[in-house]
Amino acid sequence: MSKAKNYIVGIFDDHDKLLNGVEATKNEGYKISDVISPYPIHEVIESLNLKTRIPVLALLYGIFAVLVTFGFLYWTSVVDYPLRFGGKPQNTLSFVVVIFVMTINITSAFTIVTFFLREKKGPGAKAHVIDEGLGDDKYAIILDEEEEKTAQQEEYLKQIGAIRIVHDKQK
Amino acid sequence: MYKTKVRGVIIEGNKSYGQITRDILAPIDGKTPRWWFITMGIGTLMMLAGMVAIVNTIATGIGTWGLNNSVAWGWGIINFVWWIGIGHAGTAFSIFLLILRQKWRTSINRAAEAMTVFAVICAGLFPALHMGRIWLAFFIFPYPNTRGPLWVNFNSPLFWDVVAISTYFMASATFWYIGMLPDLATIRDKATNKVKKAIYGFFAFGWVGKATSWLRFETTVLILGGLAAPLVIAVHSIVSMDFATSVMAGWHTTVFPPYFVVGAIFSGFAMVLTLMIIIRKVYKYQDYVTDGHLDAIARILTFISLIMGTAYATEIFIAWYSAMEGEMYTFFHNRIAGDHTAAFWTMVTCNVFFPQLFWFKKIRSNIWAVFVISIIINIGMWFERYVIIITSLTKDYLPANWAPYAPSITEVGIFVGTLGIFVIGVLLFLRFVPMMAMSELKGVLKDTMPAKKKAGKTPDDPENKTL
Repeated sequence: MSKAKNYIVGIFDDHDKLLNGVEATKNEGYKISDVISPYPIHEVIESLNLKTRIPVLALLYGIFAVLVTFGFLYWTSVVDYPLRFGGKPQNTLSFVVVIFVMTINITSAFTIVTFFLREKKGPGAKAHVIDEGLGDDKYAIILDEEEEKTAQQEEYLKQIGAIRIVHDKQK
Repeated sequence: MYKTKVRGVIIEGNKSYGQITRDILAPIDGKTPRWWFITMGIGTLMMLAGMVAIVNTIATGIGTWGLNNSVAWGWGIINFVWWIGIGHAGTAFSIFLLILRQKWRTSINRAAEAMTVFAVICAGLFPALHMGRIWLAFFIFPYPNTRGPLWVNFNSPLFWDVVAISTYFMASATFWYIGMLPDLATIRDKATNKVKKAIYGFFAFGWVGKATSWLRFETTVLILGGLAAPLVIAVHSIVSMDFATSVMAGWHTTVFPPYFVVGAIFSGFAMVLTLMIIIRKVYKYQDYVTDGHLDAIARILTFISLIMGTAYATEIFIAWYSAMEGEMYTFFHNRIAGDHTAAFWTMVTCNVFFPQLFWFKKIRSNIWAVFVISIIINIGMWFERYVIIITSLTKDYLPANWAPYAPSITEVGIFVGTLGIFVIGVLLFLRFVPMMAMSELKGVLKDTMPAKKKAGKTPDDPENKTL
């Protein structure tokens, strides 16, 4: 278990103040740990320079699904129990339909599982709720607490428009 | 990656973010209204009727249905195709519009997806029961067995159906649920009641709304949507191949896959419209389901209806052009004229002629007219499946095999039962789940604010017109 870390959280109540705040805080040199918002804000994602590799993984899952499904069809219809009917080939083009659908099936399922694993979320997972307005109409900028400069950080968050400051501890 | 320009006002009434939360959560926080219990009662009775019919079918056998040797597919398959069609557009609606970045989907997609899930459940019942010995249903899955192992026929459209529909159910249900996580978390945070907080907290999967989470969330949803879009097309194409790969007159045509896909989207859009009008009226959501939304759906329906008309005309033309006697007979002496004239013309009138009324702005803006036409379309789509299945099967190539068909009370009972399941599902959805995606509504609010809230813009700026 990792040690609990201290954070200083500034709660905002305005979309624009948050956007300007994120940009300004970055320029000021404070380290933003994360931003919480009730809906996705693409400007924030961009300015924090966040990236995800889920699309690459999804592509790999898709390739895996095609291979596995084709392998299964080939093995059952050609190797394990070959049946010849109507003079048609055993390894047929109509496998495409099942491969197509199963690729979608396997890729979706794996992508969803990846999302939940990466996010460490699942049925009944505990949520660390810092402020109850954050799902409604409030926003939060979370800063890593710097021991010597705590007061300075608080002051700064207030200056860029935070309506209140919360101290938070997380593992 | 996700930046798009949005046109016009999508949410009316100058809402604040907090106001959206309060509006959408009002039906969940408030008391259960009386009409809800009454409708629930009716739905439950319908479902019970269906259960009696299902028990009768399983205990006695398919002989309780009105089927015979020639007409081996009756109401069971008609209703299966009808439900799966309705189940299609729900996701088609939210997914196609997601991929096309049509932001006006935000207030409708949640309900459309919910409808999809319930409709697919109803649809899945029919082929399962139609197998006759439902307790051997697992035979359709390819698993190593002691019969050879004799694998299933991977080249049969009936097997493709099993794969496609179960995949479709899984994909649309998870897509719906993942989209709901942020809103369930909002309910959890706002709840004052401990039990409610715990229950919604369990189902919210620990969602907090961090920027990293939002990025992964949106990426995952977009990938799932991108995968589900071709799936929607595949599923109904495969359903149409159940018919098209046979040699029955009236079925054996290449136009079937696109014709079925468009038909499915047509009936689904109509059902979305029916449902959204009810939601708008009952919950007074005029600010979210605006006149602009209804207008847009009505316009799409007009266009799809023209495609349907073209498909019907193509079938008739090819029957004549192929100079094949069986096809000619089916279309000209068994559908356009003959025993099934009434069903055929009901189909054409409901699907092709009535929606053309949407060309008139007066009708598009009359909510009652729109509501009635949306129901007429679904009746027409039911008759389309009736015409396809019953006309071809009652009179096939050998006149000696001709046999009439009428549904038995058991078949009707199962249909009524699925209607009951659908009603119950929709009611539970309306009561316990936020029926519009709050996080998505909030996401588009900023870009679509009316002119006076935006600095430097005048109210008559053309960019600010509704939709």
